[in-house]
Amino acid sequence: MRLLSWHPSRAATATAAVLALCLMLPELLPPYVTTRDVLQPPGPEHWLGTNDIGQDVLTGLLRAAPNTVLIALLAAAAALALSIPFASLTVTSPRWLQRTLMRVVDVLQIVPSVLVILLIAAWVQPGLGGIALLLALTIWPDDVRVLRTAFRREIARENVAVARQLGGSWTYCIGRHVLPAMGPVLLGLFLQHVRQAALKTAGLGFLGLTDPRLVTWGSMMQDALDHLHTSAWIWLLLPPAACLTLFLHGVLRAGGRLERSGQTLTTGLA
Amino acid sequence: MSCSVLNRISVAILLLNSALYAVPTRAQTAADTRPLVIADSRGDYGLLAPFAHMKNGPAYLYTSYVFDTLVAQDAQGNLVPALAKSWSRSADGLSWGIELDQRARWHDGTPVTAGDVAFTVSYMAEHPYVFASTAGIAGAEAVSATHLKLQLKQSDAGFVSGTLASLPILPQHIYGTISDPETFTQKAAATGSGPYILDTQDKAQGRYLLRRNDAYYRGAPKFPSIAIVKMPTDAAIVALKNSEVDVITDVPLDRADIIRSAGLKVVEAPSNHPMRLTFNHAGPFGAKAARHALAHAIDRQGLVDVAYRGAAVVAEPGFFQKGSPWRAPTVLDGYPTDIAKAKSLLTGLGWSQGEAGRWSRSGQSVTLRLVAAPQAKAVATALTDQLEAFGLAIELRLMEPAQLQEQIESGAYELALFSSSTMGDPGSLMRKVFGPAFNSDRFPDHAELRNLLIKQAVSTDATERLRILEKVQAIYAEELPSLLLVNPIWATAHNDRVTPTFLPDGVAIGIPMAMHKAVLLP
Repeated sequence: MRLLSWHPSRAATATAAVLALCLMLPELLPPYVTTRDVLQPPGPEHWLGTNDIGQDVLTGLLRAAPNTVLIALLAAAAALALSIPFASLTVTSPRWLQRTLMRVVDVLQIVPSVLVILLIAAWVQPGLGGIALLLALTIWPDDVRVLRTAFRREIARENVAVARQLGGSWTYCIGRHVLPAMGPVLLGLFLQHVRQAALKTAGLGFLGLTDPRLVTWGSMMQDALDHLHTSAWIWLLLPPAACLTLFLHGVLRAGGRLERSGQTLTTGLA
Repeated sequence: MSCSVLNRISVAILLLNSALYAVPTRAQTAADTRPLVIADSRGDYGLLAPFAHMKNGPAYLYTSYVFDTLVAQDAQGNLVPALAKSWSRSADGLSWGIELDQRARWHDGTPVTAGDVAFTVSYMAEHPYVFASTAGIAGAEAVSATHLKLQLKQSDAGFVSGTLASLPILPQHIYGTISDPETFTQKAAATGSGPYILDTQDKAQGRYLLRRNDAYYRGAPKFPSIAIVKMPTDAAIVALKNSEVDVITDVPLDRADIIRSAGLKVVEAPSNHPMRLTFNHAGPFGAKAARHALAHAIDRQGLVDVAYRGAAVVAEPGFFQKGSPWRAPTVLDGYPTDIAKAKSLLTGLGWSQGEAGRWSRSGQSVTLRLVAAPQAKAVATALTDQLEAFGLAIELRLMEPAQLQEQIESGAYELALFSSSTMGDPGSLMRKVFGPAFNSDRFPDHAELRNLLIKQAVSTDATERLRILEKVQAIYAEELPSLLLVNPIWATAHNDRVTPTFLPDGVAIGIPMAMHKAVLLP
């Protein structure tokens, strides 16, 4: 967990290392294929046993790791990429447009996100990037209000007012003065999204909507549910559930450290 | 003192004794009035009326408890009289005389007449019913209240087993005024002439309660009432052990031992509802050799072992499966797994294998799009692994029926996985092989097969028909309009109150379910 403590260079190195590992991992692992060894309990040949179509659970867990983690990180980043420009428009645009944009956000917040995911995913069977984008689409409207408040506060500061009077455009002001000051808020939101997306990916897996061969901890848990009546659930359900819990725990710890280091603006983001 | 203790003990023994005797008597009475509870994992089937029920096998089957057909099947699957007491065919096979059972009554007490049958035929010509076609009937005339004459457009070998045994007869006095039967979902729509009367339906819970039709013309049905309840399989197994449920219509075979060890029974049979691989004949698999190559590349026993854990058998390639009355006993080699042969067949077609073993065709690497329903996930994944190991890149997509239909009709696929029935009268084979429906083989014209299918459908000589079907079987196995992969085994669990049986050619149009109507009749 030390790696995740807040320090720009260390965090960047850690992120790069995790991403590199994620991308290389599938090449290093044995293939995740069906075999005749179905529902084998953990043993020397299959350390964590096999599932009902003979796929090795340990291989599945490791292969699911980059998928689950990457989707969560991508979705979190994409959600922010959508909500930041939108929120900035709700502060800098003419009043009538501000009002319209906020009503759009209201509508998006009211529509249950699971419904939207179900509707789109049932027709496009998204891959890795697609899933991240889908999740981002359902997450970002929640950010707008938080970001709008932060934007308003930052825009009211003297440096922005001066820059504007000297002829700085809104794009310049936001890029140069506002966003840098909002770093901790953005980071807090990012971590929150990672947690949400990881859980929602698991949910997508449960709904059987993801590409059937895209293995995630969520899809592994879904497959395990058919075996609750036998002892197989012990090696089918517990390992992916444990991995998902650990990952979320890591994300929450990182968020906690941020808060403790006093660099987040409070306002109930956790 | 000791005397009174002894007295008390003897009184206690006496009470215990009487209690012991009383228990079976009470249980027996309870059994007599208790409904027969059928547990089903699937749930809501719509109103149990011909046009209102959902378009699937179980919905048809449960509707058949309420609506009788002219001809029925007994517990062995033989055709026996139902609403029709007797039937006869003219020498040319074009006209049929049907004598109705005059004891038959609608659930509201009105007699069932030849007029109702004639009405049903014309009504279903106007409002086609998915599970029975009246398209081959040119006209129906009620000669008297109990005598009916039917005129066919052409002789039809499967008229009795295909049409008369599956066409539910509608009450004219109720449906006569209904112009849109699919939206007619009031309870009156479920007025039939069958052994059970629909009492209540709970749509949200997927529950039905049916009560015995005491005036049923074929004798009082066995059970005073029937409850059909939606229940997850594992809950149903516990309920079966506790005698709260009498039948579970669909149990996974891997639970059979658990059920049998509790002293209950499981009846199982190959469903003859095989998982089949269909081809987009407009694509690379338009070539027979390519289909043969695929057949040799697939290890079907492997699919049985991996995806079904033994709860299936390898399917036969000649359409009809073992146990079917239409199957010729010809031994078919059935495309044994032979990778070398598969490779040479593809190479013969100009395909080539690259460095990583990936196949390409006219210089372009091949990626095949395989579409399947979500229920087929396990077998689709296992099949994908086999094909990829052979060097064929696969893009696997699971989708709901509506989307599957759209994808197939637009031709956006190379391979599709389906499960569909090979049972029922082969009169429908023409449609299943050459028909345009998304779940048919969509096989391009093949003159010899087409002619044979027409000939068997109109043949009036049973032996000749079987001889033609033997040829059909051989050509189907050779041409592979689709490749039948595995034949899952279906199982029904039950206690001693009822004895479900799987019929060799399925129920009516070929529904592989053991809780058919004959089980409920005396």
